[in-house]
Amino acid sequence: MSLLSLLGVLSSAIFSGTSLLYSTLGETIHQRSGIVNLGLEGVMLISASSGFAFTAITGNPYLGVLAAAFAGGIVNLILGYLVINRKANQLASGLALMFFGFGASALIGKSYVGMKINPLPRFTLPWIANLDVLYSSLFKFDLLIYLAIPAAFGIWWLLFKTRWGLGLRAVGENADAAYASGRNPMRIRFQALFLGGMLAGLGAAHLSIAYTMSWSEHMTAGRGFIAVALVIFSKWHPLRAIGGALLFSGAVAFQLLLQSSGVKVSPFLLDTIPYVITLLILIIWGGTRKSAAPAGLGRVYYGGQK
Amino acid sequence: MFRKNKIFLIFTTLILLVAMLAACQSASEPTEEPATEEPEIEEPVETEEPEEVEVEEPEKEVVEEETEEEPCLVIGALHGGPINDAGYNQAMHESVMKIQENIPCVEIIEAENVPEEAGATTTMQNMIDRGAKMIIATAFNHQYPALELAAQYPDVVFEHAGGWEMSQNFANFFGEPPETWYIMGTAAGLMTETNKVGFVAAFPLGWTNTFINAFTLGAQSVNPDIETIVAFTFDWADSAKEADTTNSLINQGVDIITMHVDSPTTVISTAEERGVYSIGFQSNAAQQFAPENWISGIGYTLGDKLTWLASTVMDGTWEPIFLRCGIGDGCMEMAPFGPNVPQDVQDQVLQVKDQVESGEIVVFEGPVIAQDGTIVVPEGEVLSTEVMGSVDWFVQGVTGSPK
Repeated sequence: MSLLSLLGVLSSAIFSGTSLLYSTLGETIHQRSGIVNLGLEGVMLISASSGFAFTAITGNPYLGVLAAAFAGGIVNLILGYLVINRKANQLASGLALMFFGFGASALIGKSYVGMKINPLPRFTLPWIANLDVLYSSLFKFDLLIYLAIPAAFGIWWLLFKTRWGLGLRAVGENADAAYASGRNPMRIRFQALFLGGMLAGLGAAHLSIAYTMSWSEHMTAGRGFIAVALVIFSKWHPLRAIGGALLFSGAVAFQLLLQSSGVKVSPFLLDTIPYVITLLILIIWGGTRKSAAPAGLGRVYYGGQK
Repeated sequence: MFRKNKIFLIFTTLILLVAMLAACQSASEPTEEPATEEPEIEEPVETEEPEEVEVEEPEKEVVEEETEEEPCLVIGALHGGPINDAGYNQAMHESVMKIQENIPCVEIIEAENVPEEAGATTTMQNMIDRGAKMIIATAFNHQYPALELAAQYPDVVFEHAGGWEMSQNFANFFGEPPETWYIMGTAAGLMTETNKVGFVAAFPLGWTNTFINAFTLGAQSVNPDIETIVAFTFDWADSAKEADTTNSLINQGVDIITMHVDSPTTVISTAEERGVYSIGFQSNAAQQFAPENWISGIGYTLGDKLTWLASTVMDGTWEPIFLRCGIGDGCMEMAPFGPNVPQDVQDQVLQVKDQVESGEIVVFEGPVIAQDGTIVVPEGEVLSTEVMGSVDWFVQGVTGSPK
């Protein structure tokens, strides 16, 4: 296998891993504050469709990305109202949100199926542009790709190096203790949900506006759930999420390379490689889950209303 | 607490507003879109098959005058995906709508996005309850639900696109893509510089394998060094997977991409974005996604044949026939060439098209040799249409696994 084909796999992995990375980062933030959002798939679908629709209407993909991010944040606030204000069960509310997302995104996107948009422009970084075109064409990316890894570092800094991040993690571990120390757990959780929703929205925007340049129903095809799994895989750490997202999308890219190289293995089996890897990783890391998961994950916080 | 409730209320109203705006948009968009696309498909209609249609028309107009509001025939049409997908469903939708254009007194009840078989049964049942005397099912997996209903409703005519089952009131119709794939193959063979062309396919089904083989044979007829690299997405409409697959093929050095998935939008947009030529399939609406690097494409234009079928239902002469029609019959149409296709390539491709239409070129004429060297069609024989649906081999020059 040549260097070029390996670089090809890397390029494909970066392309398709970007949306996964953003949504994993988003879910990491919610879960660090103690909220599991199983509705991420639905949130992403609403973001993908509204971002695509906005791009189609305005003709400006950057505005579409912005719309998708805000749509994600706003939809997440619905979950916030349910699980924070109404004290509803997080898993049930998340699943309800997901189904809401299926329907709402289909409604928003219906007339934009098969429409041509201006996709997010792609450009090559200056020092890569000097390479042979065979190589440089592999690394012609859009703005959201270039910002993905910096975003992971930004979230890491936010969670582990700022006062707000400390408060957020404290709420996720023990909301009562955080309340006693002068934090407002409800407000922090709403903030976490909004920010996380915006990140998931960016991931979805990358999928519809930059990567596939199209909208179709259920286009996220399970990426929202993979993101939830990747949060566990990365042990709730934003920097490990980079590796997780790349590993997953790299497995898909590698599978496609093997398949089209005529390797005589059942393509159906090849298609399961990424999922097998995910399962294996979950099994290996599963034992240490307790030490890594926020202690207050999934717990309802009653403190503020007493 | 109250403040948060208020914020929530404001946000929900905002969301509702956005949703309503989107719904308003949907009312205005579709009316504009078909208007721009129809002219392409309309053209052949007047030239290819005017007699059969026009003979029917005066009669039907009389019927229309007699019973002002009563439609002369109610047709129920259902599709597996969205009818504006710029792909298979749009091509089928436009073909069905052609019936009404040709026979204005017909009423068409159409349902899109009916993926499941159970949903198809209910939808068809509803259509029959609303007076449909002819059902056109265009999705691959609606064949058996339709066949079952056909047994229940002997006075309703069922037509399925691309199936193989037949009964007293159940038949099927379809275009014949293999020969058009051969024509597209010659275009690819003449245009490629790397001698590698990429084929994104949904599933390794018999017909898909036949398309890939015909495409490769066409390319080899003008360029013996051609290699067709095939990768499957295992989904008819997973756009992210289609983008993954297209990128993967381009990274392996192909400089032309073509596909057999429901909607060509993602594959062609991705190829265009990466500066790689593309060849369309399903609907010629695909061309808009590749303003620069489009070579050509083929789309289904079954409107005239469907019009004829509907007219036979109306005058009671309908019979179950296994209807297959090719590019020469106007059932498939070639898209215009893209701006970067040189004139001599265009001429050569059009010449091959003529030869295919006249029967001078037969695509699967023996000997045809499979990947592993076995002779799958012996010399002097031709691969029959019945076998094409269950082909599980690739010809030499294809890289990828046909199973």
